[in-house]
Amino acid sequence: MKLTSATPWGVYSVWWRHFQVYRSTWLVNCLPPISEPVVYLLAFGYGLTPLIGGVDYLGQQVPYATFIAPGMIAVGVLFQSFFEGAYSSFIRLNFQKTWQALLTAPLSFTDVFLGDWFWAATKGTIAGTLTGLVAVIANLYAPSSLVLSLPLIVLGSLLFGAFGLLVAGAVNKVDQVNVPIFLVVIPMFTLSGTYFPRDTLPPLLERVADLLPLAALVDLLRWPLGLPPWWPWSLLWLLGWLVLMARLAALRIYPRLFS
Amino acid sequence: MATEMLNLTAYDLWKQYGDTPVVQGISFTLQPGEIVGLLGPNGAGKTTTVGMLFGTVVPSRGFVQFGPWQMPTQGPQARTQMGIVTQEDNLDPDFTVFKNLTHFAHHYRITGQAAKQRAGELLALVNLSDRAQAQVDELSGGMKRRLVLARALLNQPQLVFLDEPTTGLDPDARQDFWRLVQHLKASGCGILLTTHYMDEAQRLCDRILLLQQGKVIDEGSPEALVERVIGQEVAEVEGIAADLLKTLAQRHGAWCRSFGSGHLVTLPSPTADLLWNAIEAHHPQRLLRRPANLEDVFLRLTGSLLE
Repeated sequence: MKLTSATPWGVYSVWWRHFQVYRSTWLVNCLPPISEPVVYLLAFGYGLTPLIGGVDYLGQQVPYATFIAPGMIAVGVLFQSFFEGAYSSFIRLNFQKTWQALLTAPLSFTDVFLGDWFWAATKGTIAGTLTGLVAVIANLYAPSSLVLSLPLIVLGSLLFGAFGLLVAGAVNKVDQVNVPIFLVVIPMFTLSGTYFPRDTLPPLLERVADLLPLAALVDLLRWPLGLPPWWPWSLLWLLGWLVLMARLAALRIYPRLFS
Repeated sequence: MATEMLNLTAYDLWKQYGDTPVVQGISFTLQPGEIVGLLGPNGAGKTTTVGMLFGTVVPSRGFVQFGPWQMPTQGPQARTQMGIVTQEDNLDPDFTVFKNLTHFAHHYRITGQAAKQRAGELLALVNLSDRAQAQVDELSGGMKRRLVLARALLNQPQLVFLDEPTTGLDPDARQDFWRLVQHLKASGCGILLTTHYMDEAQRLCDRILLLQQGKVIDEGSPEALVERVIGQEVAEVEGIAADLLKTLAQRHGAWCRSFGSGHLVTLPSPTADLLWNAIEAHHPQRLLRRPANLEDVFLRLTGSLLE
């Protein structure tokens, strides 16, 4: 694969096309996926707090709902960016042939790839931010913390959007997208310290869970409650995964368009 | 937009997939205002060649020059002056007919009122103004092809690729499409047309490259090709012994070969009538005298029919 040059207009124009589709049906697009982390937040937060009370996190007692709020932001980021990257990009690549149509315009592969990727990341960012707003309204996350967490939300959205694109480029049938969902997304969503501190897991499983990219994102988004001492490594870990996923995704999709 | 008219030149294009050569040494130049046809059966390498010309297929050897740009490295720049109608309909099912055009215009930096105006002009050109607010799925096959063509013209291209644009269309829809192609040519646009319909190639093209197994086996204007390879007239004959017919043909310097359930015989001038009368004298079950066409050319050059 040869990296073709991108132009800001080209990338924006592709992103803008996806935004126009989203805008035309924004209520349908927006509400159900965002409701998911919000429902988890409310159900588990209010439902389990009376049973659990507090959680021991980094040596301090934290109310359960406050503990899971950053986890739910991360879940919103993961689901929305991954599903847009995986399902929607797969459909645009294989059924609607949107990528092929875009490549008849004066756009390069990199324009179209980045436009799709950034759109997946935008959807993750919207979901993460809206979940964060619900947490703010429920007094579980400070407004200033949410603002300061935005770069992390974007970073996570880019990473999981790229992972989604890699899946879109790697599978041949839309049903096969379920495989990484059950093998990677669901385990990551449950084990990454979203609903409970990872140190309650058996040691070996804890080690594995600590390495999951979502775990690094959840730890970082939980910064208002304190950061683990290895947090700069978590940040680098996320960046490393992001670069790897984006590179692999481009390598898988390119041969589907150019021969 | 460049004011200078641009030529497209293919230099010795080769494409190989594994050990299978798909395109083998195709070279030609397309001038502004000219319609060049790539005519050949399915699998002759037409679409692969077009892919190399607009930049989605990377040649194994050779290169493509369009004005100052070389493909595929400068594909995006070159495509600012190209319009591409691919074989598959890749219209956007998420948008209405009108928005398919205005939203695609955005990629050419045509936005806002300018995009709406251009979309309106093009819908009028392709006779879809009354379907502007329809969903793409509600369009017939012919309307979809016209909309894809309209989308390819948003940027007022100097060169348009039409890759089997009328495949699957009914005769009326094909005629409509042909009128648009002739209109484009008249406006000075260079057109590269791939087709396996010889009547389409014969009617539209100034020059034809006959393709078989990735190679150009002959080229020229449709009339010149027919005249040079076949002559003016042929006879389709059924119900005469092959040996007898071949003897008659040889005697008149004509070419003869099996064709469907009978034979095809050229009627070379100036002895066309003599040969015709000779065949007629044997009372064949079926006898048809007709002008020679590109199908006959293809049959003579390749031994097989186009479709």
